[in-house]
Amino acid sequence: MAEDFPFEISPMFEGERIRKNDMYVELSGPKSIGFELVKAAEMDDVVDGKFNMIGPDIQDMEEGGRYPFAMIYKIAGELVEEDLESIVERRNHDFQNYIQGLMHLNQRYDVWVRLSKEAVEKGVTSFESIAQAIMMLFKNELPFIEKVEATYITDKDEIEKLMDEAKAKYKARDDRTRNLHDEDVDTFYGCTLCQSFAPSNVCVITPDRISLCGAINWFDGRAAAKVDPEGPQFAIPKGDVIDEESGEYTGVNETAKSLSSGEYDRIKLHSFLDHPHTSCGCFEVVGFYIPEVDGIGWVDRDFTGAAPNGLPFSTMAGQTGGGKQISGFLGIGINYFRSPKFIQADGGWERVVWMPKHLKDRVSDDIPDDIADKIATEEDVSDLETLRNFLEEKNHPIVNRWEKEEEEEATEEEETPQQAAPAMQMPASMPMNMPAMPTSGSGGVKIILKNAKVSVDKVIIKKNE
Amino acid sequence: MSELKTGTFSVSDLENVQINIGSIVGAIEKTAAEEGEVGPTVKPNISGLRDWDYKLLERYNPVYTPMCDQCCYCTFGTCDLTGNKEGACGINMEGHNAREFMLRVITGASAHSGHGRHLLHHLIDKYGADYPLKVGQTNIIAPNVQMVTGKKPETLGDLEGALSYVEEQLVQLLACVHVGQEGEAIDFESKAMHGGMLDHVGMEVSDIAQISCLEMPKADENAPLSEIGMGTIDSEKPVLLVIGHNVAGVTNIIDYMEDHDLTDKMELCGLCCTALDMTRYRTEGGDVPKAKVVGTLAKELKMIRSGVPDVIVVDEQCVRADVLREARELMMPVITTNDKIMYGLPDRSEDDIEDIIDDLKSGRDDGALILDFEKLGEVAPRLTQEMSKIRKEKGVVSLPTEEEFNELTSRCVHCLTCELECPTNLPISDAMTAAEEGDLRPFEILHDKCVACGRCEQACPKDIPVLNVIEKASQRVIREERGKVRVGRGQISDPEIREEGVNLVMGTTPGIIAMVGCSNYPDGTKDLYRIADEMLRRNYIVLMSGCSAMDLGMYQNDDGETLYEKYPAKFQKGNLINVGSCVSNSHITAATIKVAAIFAQRNITGNYEEIADYILNRVGAVGVAWGAYSQKASSIGTGCNRLGIPVILGPHGSKYRRALIGKPYEEDKWKVLDARNGETMDIPPAPEFLLTTAETIDEMMPMLAKNCIRPSDNNMGRMIKLTHYIELSEKYLGIMPDDWYKYVRNETDLPLARREEFLKKLEQEYGWDIDWNKKKIVSGPTSKLDVSAQPTNVERLCKEA
Repeated sequence: MAEDFPFEISPMFEGERIRKNDMYVELSGPKSIGFELVKAAEMDDVVDGKFNMIGPDIQDMEEGGRYPFAMIYKIAGELVEEDLESIVERRNHDFQNYIQGLMHLNQRYDVWVRLSKEAVEKGVTSFESIAQAIMMLFKNELPFIEKVEATYITDKDEIEKLMDEAKAKYKARDDRTRNLHDEDVDTFYGCTLCQSFAPSNVCVITPDRISLCGAINWFDGRAAAKVDPEGPQFAIPKGDVIDEESGEYTGVNETAKSLSSGEYDRIKLHSFLDHPHTSCGCFEVVGFYIPEVDGIGWVDRDFTGAAPNGLPFSTMAGQTGGGKQISGFLGIGINYFRSPKFIQADGGWERVVWMPKHLKDRVSDDIPDDIADKIATEEDVSDLETLRNFLEEKNHPIVNRWEKEEEEEATEEEETPQQAAPAMQMPASMPMNMPAMPTSGSGGVKIILKNAKVSVDKVIIKKNE
Repeated sequence: MSELKTGTFSVSDLENVQINIGSIVGAIEKTAAEEGEVGPTVKPNISGLRDWDYKLLERYNPVYTPMCDQCCYCTFGTCDLTGNKEGACGINMEGHNAREFMLRVITGASAHSGHGRHLLHHLIDKYGADYPLKVGQTNIIAPNVQMVTGKKPETLGDLEGALSYVEEQLVQLLACVHVGQEGEAIDFESKAMHGGMLDHVGMEVSDIAQISCLEMPKADENAPLSEIGMGTIDSEKPVLLVIGHNVAGVTNIIDYMEDHDLTDKMELCGLCCTALDMTRYRTEGGDVPKAKVVGTLAKELKMIRSGVPDVIVVDEQCVRADVLREARELMMPVITTNDKIMYGLPDRSEDDIEDIIDDLKSGRDDGALILDFEKLGEVAPRLTQEMSKIRKEKGVVSLPTEEEFNELTSRCVHCLTCELECPTNLPISDAMTAAEEGDLRPFEILHDKCVACGRCEQACPKDIPVLNVIEKASQRVIREERGKVRVGRGQISDPEIREEGVNLVMGTTPGIIAMVGCSNYPDGTKDLYRIADEMLRRNYIVLMSGCSAMDLGMYQNDDGETLYEKYPAKFQKGNLINVGSCVSNSHITAATIKVAAIFAQRNITGNYEEIADYILNRVGAVGVAWGAYSQKASSIGTGCNRLGIPVILGPHGSKYRRALIGKPYEEDKWKVLDARNGETMDIPPAPEFLLTTAETIDEMMPMLAKNCIRPSDNNMGRMIKLTHYIELSEKYLGIMPDDWYKYVRNETDLPLARREEFLKKLEQEYGWDIDWNKKKIVSGPTSKLDVSAQPTNVERLCKEA
C-alpha cells in the first residue's frame, strides 16, 4: 500500500530530474558500473516479496558518493516465460521514475540512478522500500507475475562477477528477437489501443512487424495479452498461409474484417501496393509511391522539407491514416525498416529510391550494402528529374524495371495518338464569349505585356438579351 | 510611341501574364465538389447547427445569475422581470439573460472579425489577393474556416469569403437582439453558440493572414523568447508605446526604425496583443524580436502614469477610453490609427508629415488620427525622439515625490470607500497605514494584484491618486519586472500532432490545458504560474495565448527562470506553448479539429457536428480563462463549448452571469450511442460541464484533471487521468473526491500504485464485487470498458442508423 512507503509514487514524478547539488548518492551510471535484470524462474525458486541486499545499503553510504548498483528481479508464475523478461525489465525504468526522489535513466548495463537528499531526509534509508514498491507495481500491472523477489547489489566485486551472466542474457534476448520471424510463431498480436481515436485501425504486430507507432513489438503484445486476453492487445491466431511472400494469412484477414467492422477483409503484412496494412494516425514514417520512377520514397515526421515529388510529410501523411487502407501510401514504425521482410512483396529495399538524410543515417545498418548509396536523399536530389537522373547514374535496381516497362509501352504506342487529339481541342470548348477584337491596327496603341499581372476586381457576367 | 487615347485597344504578344479575378458576380459560385468530400453544414446559418446545440444544452443546462432584475432595452420599460414576471414585450428573465449573454458573445466575435477585416483589407492591399497562405507544415491551412465554411483557403483573397460569411451571420444574430425577435432562452443559447463558432473563424482569418504576410513564426517550436515587463524598458532612451490588438500599422513603425538605424536608439514597447504580435513580426526562423512587451491591459494605466512613454500609438480593442486624457496630463502625444478608436482627434492622414510633427511637439494638438500607415511609420518614431528631448527638458514627472508620497499616505482617513470600489477589494487602507510607517511591502504586493482600473481614485473622498501611490511605493518591484515570454508560434503542425498522437492515445499525455483570456485575476499573476507548473509537471500539454501568455512570463521561480525557459515548446507532453495573441486562440480549437482529421481521417470540410461530436467524446482538452474580463473572452469560450471543449473561468467569470452545467446525478443524461451498432452505452459524467467558474486555484486544480477525462479513454489513459484527478484533489483540497468511482470501468482504470487500496474502497464503500484472487472487479461499474467502442451523440453517425 502506498501509505507504507516513505515516498510518493505517481506518474507525475516521471520527468523529475535530480541535479548534482540535490543528489544524495549516484548509483551505477557512466562513471561506475551496474545493471538491471529480470529473470524468469521456477515457482519454487522465488520467495515472494523477499528483498536481498548485497553490499552497503543507503544508510551506510556517504552523502555525495557514487556506488556501483545492480538490480535483479526473479519472477515466477504459471504464465511467466523468458520471452517476457525484457518487458518486465523495461517497466523497472518507468516505475523507479514514479518514485519521488529517485531518477532512473537508460537501461540494462547503462542504468544510471540518482537518489535525492530530500528523499533520504524523508526516510528512504534503505533500498528495501524502493524494491518493495517496484515489486508491488510489477504485480499490480502485470498480474501474470505471481511471485517476485528482488536482489539489489552495491558490492563492486559481486556486480563484476554477475556482469558477464547479465550480458550473456541480454545477448541471448537480442539474438532471439533478431532471429524470430513470422514463420517461427503461430500467434500474432493485434492492438486496438488507438481505436479510441482512429476507429477502424487494425494494428497487426508480428515478429517481423512492429506496431505503426513504434511503441509495441511482438513481445510487448504477448505480455499484454497474457495480462488481459480481452484487453486492447490480444492474440491473433495466424491461421493458414495464403501467401508467405506478401504476408497474407487467413487469421489476419479474419481479424481485419471483424475489427474494422467489415471495412477491410484482406491485409498483406509486407505489401505496399496491394492490400497494405492500415495506417493509424501516429505512424513514425510514411512511405509514398512515386509513379514517375516506379519507386517508393519514405519521409518521417522530423523532415520539414519537401520530398522529390514536391510534397512535405504532412501532406503525404494526410493521404492515409485514420485506420484506412490506401494503396500507394503506408504508415510504419521506424523499426519496420529493420525487418528482413520489409515490404518484400514489392521488392523490399530494391524498391526504395528516396529517404531524408537523417532517416537514412538512422537505419543505415539495416540497408543492404549494395543498395545503400543508390538511395537518394535531399542532399542528392531536389525534384523528380534529378531523382531520375540520380537513379540512372547510380544504376539503382529500379532502373531495370523502367526498361521492362518501356518495352511494354512500345507495343501500346499505336493507340495513343488518337487519345491525344481530343485533348488538344480543349480550349475551343471553353465558354469564353469574348467580344471579337480587331487584330490589326485601326490607329490607337498597341500594348505588349511581358511579365504583367492583371487584376480584375469584379467580373459581371450578364445574359445576352 | 504614339499618344495614348481612349478607345479600344488590341493586346497581343502576352508572355508570362497572370490575370487575377477577384470575384465573379452572376456566375455560379465554385461548386463545393472541388473541395472534395463535403459535410452537411457548409456555412451554416443560425438554425444550421441548432440540433447539435440542443443536444449539448440538454446535457449541459444554462444557469443564470442575473446581474440586474430589469430590462431597459426599449421605452416600454424599464420592466421588472423578478418573480417570473414578463416584460412589456413578453420577454422573461431567462430569455433576457440569455439574450444579454448572446450579445456579449457577438460583441466579442465582432471585435475579432472586425480586426480581421481591417487586417485583411490592409494585407491584400499590400501583398495582393493571390498572396499564398503559409502557416507551417500542414495539410489543413485553416481548420476552423474549412470546417465551418466548407472552403479550403489557399490565398489571402480566399479568406474574404469566410469573413463575409461571418459578417453576414453576425448581422443576423445582432438583429435577434431587437425587441420582438427571439423569445426563448434556449434559442438565444443556440445563437450564442453560433456566435462563438463564428468567432473562431474570424480569429483564424485574422491570424493566418498576418502569419502568412508578416513573416511570423509558422508552427515553430523554436520560436524565440522576448523580453517582458516594465523593468525591461530603458527610460533613458526615447520610448514609444503602442497599445491594442492590431499590429498592421506598427509594422511600418518597425520597418522605419530599422531603415533609419533607430532600433538601438529608442525603445519600442507595447501593451496587450499588439505587443505580442510585434514580437512575432519578422521572427520567422528565430530572428530577435523587434520590440518589447510591457504587459497586459492591467499595466496600461500604470505604464502611462509612470511617465516613461514619450508618445503613445493606439489601434483597437482593450485600449482604455481615457488614454488621451491621461496622456495629455503628461505631455505624451497620442496617435490613433484605426477608425474603431479616434478619441475626437483631428484626421491628419492626408497632411504633411512635418506639419503633423510640428503641431504635436508644440502642444498645439495633443493627438492625431493617422490612418495612413506609411505616414504613421515615420511620424511615430520621429516624434518620439523629439518628445523625449522636450519632455526631459521640461522635467515632466508623474509619480509623486517622496515628500508628496508621505503627504498622500497620511491624508488617507481609512474610510475604505476605495476598497469597496476595487474589483478585487484589495486591502488599500492597511497598505496606506503600513506605508506611513515606512513599510512598502503591502503596496508592493498590491501592485501585482491591482488591475489598474483606477476606480479607487474616482471613489476617494480625499482625492488621493491611489494608483500613483501604489506605483510610487512599488518602484523597486517594478524595476525587477523583467520576464521572458515565448514569441507566439501560431498553429500546431500536423507532424507534431501525429507524433504526440501516441501519447494522447496511450494516455501518457493526460490532457491539453489551454490557458487563455485576460488579466482580471483574483490574486495576481502568480496564480497562472502555479496552475501551469503543476500541470506541466504532470505531463499535460499547456497552451497559452494573449494576456495569459504574457502574465505567465512575468513570474520567475527561485532560480530566476520563467516557465517559458523551464519547459520546451513543442506540442508534446510536458511542453509549454504560446500560440500567440488573442486571435491565435483559433489555433487551439484548430488543434483539436486536426486531431479528428489526422487520427480518424474524419472529413472536416463543412462537417461541424461530426467533428464537435468527436472532440466532445475523445479529445481531453480543457480551457481555463482565469482572468477573463472581456466580451471576447466569452465568445472564445463559447466557441470552444460548441466544439465540445469545457471551459473553467476564474471567480470574476461569474459576472458573465451564466454557466453551462451538467448534472452528474441525472443518470439518463450520461448516455451516448455506439457508432458501430447504434446501441446505447453508459458513460461517466465526462466532461462534467461546458462552462463553470472556480472560486480558487485549489478548487480548480482537480477540476482540470477530471475534465480531461473522456468517454473513449482507453484503460491506460483513464488510469493516468484518474490518478491525477485523485492526487490533485488530495493535494489541494485534502480529500478523496466523492465521485472518483464513477470513472472506473474495470480494475485497469485504477491508479497503479494504489490499486489494492482502491479495490478495497470499492468493495467496502461502494459495494462492488471484487474477485480478490485475480484482483479483478466482477460487478459494480456503470460504464463498460471497450476501447473499440465509438461513442457518439449523433444518431446519423451510427452504422445501423
